[in-house]
Amino acid sequence: MDSTMQPQAGELLLEVRAEEIPARMLPGAVQELGTRLFEELMSRGLSPKTLDSAFTPRRLVLILRGLPSKEKDRTEEVLGPPVKNAFDAAGKPTAAVAAFAKKCDVAESDLRIVEAAKGKIGKTLRTFAAQLSRPAGEGATGGGEYLAATKSIIGRETVALLAELLPKILIALTWQKTMRWGAGTGPWVRPVHGVVALFEGKVVPFELLGIQAGCESAGHSTLSPKGFPVKGVEDYLAALASRSIVVFPAERKRLLLEGMTERARALGGTLVEDSGLLDKLVAICEIPGVLEGSFDSALCSLPREVLATSLRDHQSALTVEKDGQLLPVFLTVMDRPDDPAGRVRAGNEWVVAARLADAKFFFEKDRSVPLADRRAGLAKLTFQEKLGSYAEKSARLVELSVAMARAIDPGLVPDVTQAAEFLKVDLATDMVKEFTDLQGIVGGIYARAEGAPEAVWQAIYDQYRPAGAKDALPRGVVGQVTALADRLDTLAGFFGLGLIPTGSKDPFGLRRAALGVVRIALEGEAEFNLEAALGVAFGLLREKLPVKGVVESGASVPSPSVSPAHRKAFDQLVEFLRDRLTHVLGERGFAYDEVAAAMGADGGVLDFRGIAARAAALQSARQEPDFAIVAQAAKRIANITKGSEAFTFTGASCSLEAEVALWRASDKLHEEIVAAKANRDFVAALSAVGRLASPLEIFFRDVMVMDPDERLKQNRIALLQSIQTEILWLADLSQVVIERSA
Amino acid sequence: MKSFQELILALSDYWAGQGCVLQQPYDLEVGAGTMHPDTFLRVLGPEPWRVAYVQPSRRPADGRYGDNPFRLYKHNQFQVILKPSPLDVQQLYVQSLEAMGVDLAVHDLRFEEDNWEAPTLGAWGVGWQVMLDGMEISQFTYFQQAGGLELAPISCELTYGLERITMFLGLEKSIYDIRWVPDGVNYGQVRWQDEHEFSKYNFEIADVDFLRRQFDGYENESRRCLAAGIVLPAYECALKCSHLFNLLDARGAVSVTERVGVMKRVRDLAIACAREYLASRERLGFPLLPKGPDSPAAGAAGVEVARG
Repeated sequence: MDSTMQPQAGELLLEVRAEEIPARMLPGAVQELGTRLFEELMSRGLSPKTLDSAFTPRRLVLILRGLPSKEKDRTEEVLGPPVKNAFDAAGKPTAAVAAFAKKCDVAESDLRIVEAAKGKIGKTLRTFAAQLSRPAGEGATGGGEYLAATKSIIGRETVALLAELLPKILIALTWQKTMRWGAGTGPWVRPVHGVVALFEGKVVPFELLGIQAGCESAGHSTLSPKGFPVKGVEDYLAALASRSIVVFPAERKRLLLEGMTERARALGGTLVEDSGLLDKLVAICEIPGVLEGSFDSALCSLPREVLATSLRDHQSALTVEKDGQLLPVFLTVMDRPDDPAGRVRAGNEWVVAARLADAKFFFEKDRSVPLADRRAGLAKLTFQEKLGSYAEKSARLVELSVAMARAIDPGLVPDVTQAAEFLKVDLATDMVKEFTDLQGIVGGIYARAEGAPEAVWQAIYDQYRPAGAKDALPRGVVGQVTALADRLDTLAGFFGLGLIPTGSKDPFGLRRAALGVVRIALEGEAEFNLEAALGVAFGLLREKLPVKGVVESGASVPSPSVSPAHRKAFDQLVEFLRDRLTHVLGERGFAYDEVAAAMGADGGVLDFRGIAARAAALQSARQEPDFAIVAQAAKRIANITKGSEAFTFTGASCSLEAEVALWRASDKLHEEIVAAKANRDFVAALSAVGRLASPLEIFFRDVMVMDPDERLKQNRIALLQSIQTEILWLADLSQVVIERSA
Repeated sequence: MKSFQELILALSDYWAGQGCVLQQPYDLEVGAGTMHPDTFLRVLGPEPWRVAYVQPSRRPADGRYGDNPFRLYKHNQFQVILKPSPLDVQQLYVQSLEAMGVDLAVHDLRFEEDNWEAPTLGAWGVGWQVMLDGMEISQFTYFQQAGGLELAPISCELTYGLERITMFLGLEKSIYDIRWVPDGVNYGQVRWQDEHEFSKYNFEIADVDFLRRQFDGYENESRRCLAAGIVLPAYECALKCSHLFNLLDARGAVSVTERVGVMKRVRDLAIACAREYLASRERLGFPLLPKGPDSPAAGAAGVEVARG
C-alpha cells in the first residue's frame, strides 16, 4: 500500500452518513459543525493546522489536520472552604482542610489563604504555614478569606476529548426542521446510518443516535452501496474518488459549471448562469454528472421568462442562450457519471415536454382573453380579508399613484394610471397561478404583447423590484411611482390592522416592502414626497381600517385625509420606515452616529434623500478640526437648553464682548441657513455651522450662562436656543461621538 | 415494460414478502391512500403494523373530462405503511423499484426534500419526493403527527403513483395509452368513460344543496357515533364529509371565507376520531403489541414486528 494512504499524525476524519439531508440545510450544517468543533478545541488549547468541511446529500464530513494528540498539562486555581470553617477556635486545621487538600491532590502545606468574593479568587494573603503560626482566633473569622490551592491538571488525550465533544456537537446542530424515526429515535434531521470517526487512524469511540462510530463508510446509494473500511483521510478521499464521489461541494460546483459551460458551447450557445440553482444542484448529488436534454423547438415561442422559470422550478434545469434567445435545450444534474442507456435523458425530456406543454396551454389560454377583460376577475381574489379584494386594492393604487405622479410631473399621469390599473391583473391568469414567481413579469409580458406603452408594461413587469438590497429598481419613473404606491398601500393597510412584524416573524414580507420604499425613495429618478403619499394611502384605507379605542380630542393628524384613529398606525409605520433607512445607511458605510445625527435633523421625518445627504455631508465634514468644536458645543447647548422653556432674545441685554460676538455670528448663521434651505445645500450649511466654532468656544470660556441675574441668564439661554434651532435643521450634532485626539 | 396490472402485482408481491398485511382499497371515496383507516388510524398508538394496498384516490377538482393526457380525477395509489419505520426502509424501497423492473444501474434516483402536511387530518410528516430521472415517482414520508397527536413509534409511508410510474417507464405520451393488461386492453378502454362522466358530474351536475345537506347529515352522524363510542363508523362519516367538501369545492360552491370554516369542521371530526380510536385501542389492551417472547399477538394479523 502507498505510504501516503496511511493516516498522518494529528489528522481527524469525521463522516456522518444519513438519509438524504435537505439541500437547503446542508451548507449551514457543516459550517456550524466545523465552527463549533474548532471553538471547543481552541478553548482547550488544541489548535488544528487546517480544518476542511464537506458534504453530499448523504454525508457530513470534517477533516482536521495538525491537531495535537494531547491537551497541554496545566494548572487550575481552586477555591476551598472559608477560613472560619477551616480552623477551629484553637487555630488548628479542621477536617475540611484535609478533604480540600485531598480533592486538589496537594499537600496541606501547599495550600494558601486568599481573598475571594462570589466564588472568584482574589489576591493571596498568606501561606498556610503563616496562617498556622497566627495566634488562635486572629483573623480566623475574617470574612472573605478562603483556602485556595493550585491544582495540576494532566492534559487529556485528544481522542478522549473528541469522543466527548463530537456526539455533543453533532446532536446539538441546528436544523430548520427535525424528525423522529423508528421507535422514536431523534430528533435529528434524518435517520443516521453510519459514523466514521478516526483520529490518527484510530476510532474515536462514541455513539450518535444509536449508531456506533467506527471505521466503515459506504459508497453511492445505488451505484456502489457496499461498505468499505477506512484507514484515514487520504485513504477515505481516494476510496470516494474511485467511486466517482466528489465530497467537496466547491469541487462539485466547479465540475458542474465547467461541464455545463462546455456542453452549452458544443450546442452553439452560452450557459445562462444561475449560481443559486447551481448551489442547489451541488447539494442534491454526490456525483456531479451533467445531464443534457432537449425539447420541441416550437416551444421556444413561449416567453423566455416562462421557459426559464418552468425549467428552473420544475426540473432544476439551467438554460442555454444564443443571440438573446433560448435554445430548445436544458442542462441539469444527474447523480451518476454517465447515462449508459440514455434512460436518464429520455426520462428528463419526457417530464420537461409535459411541463412545457402545460405552460404552453396556459399561455395560449391566457392570451385568448385580453388583460382588460380579466380585470373583473380581481374582485374574486382576496388581497387581505379586511383590506378587501385585489380589485379594491387596484382602485386605491390608481388614486395613490396618480396623486404621487401629479406632484412630480402631471405629464406622467396617463401612463401611471394605465400601469396602476393593470398592475395586479396577472394574478387572474393561469400562468401566475402555475408559476407564482412570475407575478408581475407575466403581466408585463402580456401588456407588451398587447401593445401597451413601454413605460406601462415595464412598470407592470418591474413592480416587485427591488427584491432585495442589491436588486435593480423598476426602470423609469412610472414604474417607480407604481411600485412605491403598491408598497405604501400594503404597509399602511397591514399597520392599520395592527399586523406589524415582530422579532424574526414577518409573514407578509413587510420588511422587504419597506426596504423597497427606502431604496426607491433614495435612488429613484424623481423626488417622492413620502409623507404626503403615506397620508393619501391612509386616507384611501380609511373605511377599511378599524377605529379602536378613544381618540384624543384634538389629536393632530399628519394629513387631513388620515383619520385621527389611525394616527398611531401612521406613526408606527413612519418609525418602521425610518428603521429601515437607518439600516440601509449603515450598510452604505455611514457611521452609527452620523446616521443618528442626520435622522435627528428637524427637516421632515420621511425626507429620506435629505437625511442621506445630511449623513454624507457630516461624514466628510467631521474630518475638519472646527467640526469637533461645534459638535462639542452642540452637546453643551443641548444640556443647557434641555427642559428649559423658550425665552426671547434681546440684543440690548448682551453685556459681554463674547456674547455680542456670538450674537453677530448667529445672525450670520441664520442668513446662511436660510440660503442653504432654499438649495438643500447641506455642505454649505455645515461650513456655516463650522464658522461658529470660534465664537462658541470663546463664549463658553468667557460667559457664565447660569448667571445669578435671571434676566441675563434667560437672554443667554435664548441666544443658544436660536443657534440650536438653526443647527437642528441640519442635524442633531449632539449625537456625534467626538474622538479625543491623544 | 410492465403493464398497469403487472406493476400492482409486482408491488403487492414484494410488500407481502416484507410482512405486510395485503389490504384492499377502502370502499369509500377518499382523496388519498393516507385516509384509509389502515393508515390514518393504525399509525396512532404503540402497536406495530405493516400494510400495503392499492387505493383509488378521488380529487374532483383535478378532473379534465378525459381530455388531458396527464391529469385524472381518480388515480390509483399504491400505499405502504411500515410501523415502526425500520432503519433499512430506504433500501427496502429501492428493492421495490427493482421488483418493478427498474434497473438502477441505468437510472438516476434521488430523494429531494418534500415535507407532507394535511391540515384537515391534523397530520404532518417529514420526507422526500423520490425522483427517478427527474420525475417524481413516490412520496416517502416519516409521519410525525396525526390527528393532532405526536406519534411514537414513527410510521413510514410510501406512496407510489401507479399511473404515472407505468406511463413514465413506458415513456408514453398519454395516460390513456398505457397498457392495463399485457397485450390486452389499455387504460383508456378501462377508465375513460369514468373520467369523462365524473368530470361532468363533479363540475356541472352535482347538486350543491344536496351535497350540503349530506355534509351536515354525515357530520351529525359522525358525532352521534363518537358519542356512542363506535369510532370506525364515526371515521367513515368523517371521510364522507371530506369527499363532500372536495365535491363542493370542485363545483365552486365554497367561498374563500367559508372554506376555512368547512375545513375546520372536517379537521375537528378527524381529530376527534383519532383521539377516540387511540382510547378504544387502549381499552382493548393494544392487541397487536407483543405480549412476551412467545406471544401469538405479535404475529396475529400477519404483522412482522420490526427487526431494527
